Amino acid sequence: MQTISTDVLVIGGGATGTGCALDLAMRGIRCILVEKGDLTHGTTGRYHGLLHSGGRYVTKDPQSATECAHENAILRRIMPHCIEPTSGFFVITPWDDESYGDVFVANCHRTGVPVQEISVAEMLRREPALNPRISRVFEVPDASADSFLATHSVALAAREYGADIRTYHNVVDLIRVGDRVIGAIVEDLRSGERIRIDCAYVLNAAGAWAGKIAAMAGVTVTVVPGKGTMVAMNHRMVNTVVNRCKLPSDGDIIVPIHTVAVIGTTDVHVPDPDVFGIEPEEIQFMLEEGEKLIPGFRQYRALRAWAGVRPLYKDKDVASDRDIPRTFKLLDHEARDGVSGILSIVGGKWTTYRLMAEQTVNELARRLGNTQSCRTASEVLPIPRFEHRAHATVTVSPNPAAQTPHYWLGKPLALVESEHAAGDLICECELVTRDRILAAIDAGAHNLDDIRRDVRMGMGPCQGGWCIYRTASLLYERRCAEGLTHAHTNDALFHFLQERWKGLTPVLWGDQLRQARLDELIYIGVLGLHRLRALAEPGGGLVTQHPAIATEYVQA
Amino acid sequence: MYDTIVIGAGLSGMLAAIGRAERGERVLVLAKGYGATHWSTGCIDLLADSADPFQRIAQLARQYPHHPYALAGPTAIESGISRLRAICEAANYPLAGNLNRNLLLPTALGALRPTAFAPVTMIAGDARQLRDGRPTLIASFAELRDFFPPLIAANLRAQGIAATAAQLTLPPTSRQRDFSPVTLARLCEQPAFRASLGEQLAKLVQQGGYARIGLPAILGLKHATEVVRELQNRAGALIFEIPTLPVSVPGMRLYQILEEELIRLGGRIQLGSFVQRGEHIGDTLIAVHSEAAAREQRHTARRWVLATGGVLGGGVRATPEGHLRETALDLPLQVPAGRAGWFAPRFLAEEGHPVFQSGVRVDERLRPLDAAGRVVYDNVMVVGGALAGFDPIREGSLEGTAIATAWMAGMS
Repeated sequence: MQTISTDVLVIGGGATGTGCALDLAMRGIRCILVEKGDLTHGTTGRYHGLLHSGGRYVTKDPQSATECAHENAILRRIMPHCIEPTSGFFVITPWDDESYGDVFVANCHRTGVPVQEISVAEMLRREPALNPRISRVFEVPDASADSFLATHSVALAAREYGADIRTYHNVVDLIRVGDRVIGAIVEDLRSGERIRIDCAYVLNAAGAWAGKIAAMAGVTVTVVPGKGTMVAMNHRMVNTVVNRCKLPSDGDIIVPIHTVAVIGTTDVHVPDPDVFGIEPEEIQFMLEEGEKLIPGFRQYRALRAWAGVRPLYKDKDVASDRDIPRTFKLLDHEARDGVSGILSIVGGKWTTYRLMAEQTVNELARRLGNTQSCRTASEVLPIPRFEHRAHATVTVSPNPAAQTPHYWLGKPLALVESEHAAGDLICECELVTRDRILAAIDAGAHNLDDIRRDVRMGMGPCQGGWCIYRTASLLYERRCAEGLTHAHTNDALFHFLQERWKGLTPVLWGDQLRQARLDELIYIGVLGLHRLRALAEPGGGLVTQHPAIATEYVQA
Repeated sequence: MYDTIVIGAGLSGMLAAIGRAERGERVLVLAKGYGATHWSTGCIDLLADSADPFQRIAQLARQYPHHPYALAGPTAIESGISRLRAICEAANYPLAGNLNRNLLLPTALGALRPTAFAPVTMIAGDARQLRDGRPTLIASFAELRDFFPPLIAANLRAQGIAATAAQLTLPPTSRQRDFSPVTLARLCEQPAFRASLGEQLAKLVQQGGYARIGLPAILGLKHATEVVRELQNRAGALIFEIPTLPVSVPGMRLYQILEEELIRLGGRIQLGSFVQRGEHIGDTLIAVHSEAAAREQRHTARRWVLATGGVLGGGVRATPEGHLRETALDLPLQVPAGRAGWFAPRFLAEEGHPVFQSGVRVDERLRPLDAAGRVVYDNVMVVGGALAGFDPIREGSLEGTAIATAWMAGMS
């Protein structure tokens, strides 16, 4: 078994883990990050994409609100290409308590969340689809954020500073000598090879999976995985984030992001972050709640549903799950459990990932005798290469002040039109060109799902009917010289279609049900994919059905 | 007033309309748009997983007395297919094959797909011939996004076929971009484009000694048989088409042939008319209302054929609340018990998804029935994908069931 050594081994390739890796690397601390799936494979890639203003937490969780408000301003600075400054409304509908409005404003002031009341007429002028029976509107600096792109940008920066980031590397065991954790055994899921990583500190940033990692060191961390279900609707019926002005609840927020509007979320505690289902009642409930904000919401085409698991940390002194705060906590297992060499960073939310990393790395740096201060709040993050052209080569507005570097569908459209690349659109719904798919493949995608996360291939209304076949074929053409075979490609197709099916079944009705039937006609009737089952096998550097990364949905 | 109005312009609707028109009736086809013909392979699938589909159909009919094949019976199947073949033959686009033996034709993934009849432009791709050991070339233009030779060839090789992939250079054309299957099919109708393509193929054959060449199904829209013949002569090898991702050029050819035949017989076609409700007196349907451009139109006829398809064709539609509705006449549907039973957990599960077997239950004369088994409309016949209790895509009976029931409705 190969042995490598480093200062800090970060476990978890979500926002928190990559954020910690960047902060460590920036301060010159050697680190290796391992993630069992792709970057953002866990909760980061499965949230609604809201950059919190903090408004949501001003009453119930004021510390979180203040942290969000602070980080909101920083993230807009360091990753403008990942953030669409949509602004946000908190609205009082006829179903909400009128008196909460004044409480909300007072608590915004108290927690430092910028807020301004606007008239209902002004709200309807800006968002005509909203319910005209809304009585009060408060504007806050919510925004939508591309958490895939953000994590890739953070990882890219971390690599440029020397961090070693390894995806599809699963922690098999932590090595404990006496009361000290000294490293980990990690399996490379692509090759099946095991590697030993020796380190001064293990940083457990596994989010909802942090309890499972901690258990390998023999310590107990109680993470209560809180499942949140979301539905993407095929229209941006609003261009502003819309929240119900009430205490946080289910189905009370609509986030316009990229080509869709996401309604979320539910909050159901599940026993295992790898095993959960999406109940039809959850979807129906959210559609009903959506109607309250946007009359006719139900009539829009639902594209897909998915669920993420919040990494809610339950402290030893919290009695009820309901009272678990949304803030984060750094656990020093030496003081807490008598086991040294390991820290866990638990709880928190995407908006505060950078702050979590800063505080965590402050502690690690102190212990490692590193005196450099944190610079992640001021250094602007780089744009990954597969996204580069979509951002860099198009100027949509001649006015630099009006020009946002944020990705939106109009940019690839402008690029496609200026380069006459319409014939090269592999994914027509999301305007993904052959060039961008190939760049994502060359950037090291390990399956079709990785490419989807990178360039949004297959995320539009057709849910991959055309582009999955095309992308799989391109992947084969690009990698067959490196040993990728037809059998590996067939397996990748089976895998992707099945993954997608899980997210589709909860929202199949109307046109989307018809689309699913057309996809059956394509893959079974026209292509005969099911006849290639005997000619499909995992491998070729692709990771598809490894048990370590399988999310088993319970059949609803 | 028409003698017969057919609702739906897919394969079943067009063939039923031709059948009625041949009997001298005044016929109108009313449809929201083109049918699923434009999406499918252009082949005639009878039943996929059987060496002898016609014999297997007889077994199936005994086993499932409500299956469309059981309702239609062997005579309607045979005569419907032979009528369709005669129409295609007369249009110089013969369908070759056999009721009692499936062909095995390569797909755009390199799988081998059983089908009973295929246009002559595809027939040289039958796997029994491809396995003779002589080299086969699979080629396409890089500009076409719906067909990828390297993966096709690799999958064919894994199934014992000596296939190689090649990329063709797009012959000079005034068109600069967006080469869809339809665009390329139109280009293939141009002699200069064909000549240049043929020259490239000839060169490849000289170099590689290929006995056959598989190309995407883009070889002409109206004159595919001649295009293939000419390319074969130029290339010095047999040529076969492989269906691409939709839009399907062979499907379009089939539709156009049927359309011309119906018009020749005096029938009319009105597309863009979404039939949304019916009007009846007792159990007689007297009129339907279609909507186009926000204007309602009333149509009357003595007899009706409902050929709107299932979920795929748009004849059956689901609401967010989990109800299924027949879209044209609001006929009672046979559906799975509850939404929880709509889907199998695996997308490619062999048994398919129960929701797609939803449709209209009919009597032995294809008349719609309600839940109690009573005839809803005496003068309506339901054909094709709108029928309940079968899954044409999973069975591989998409065209066969459409033709059989359409011909029954056309002749009765």
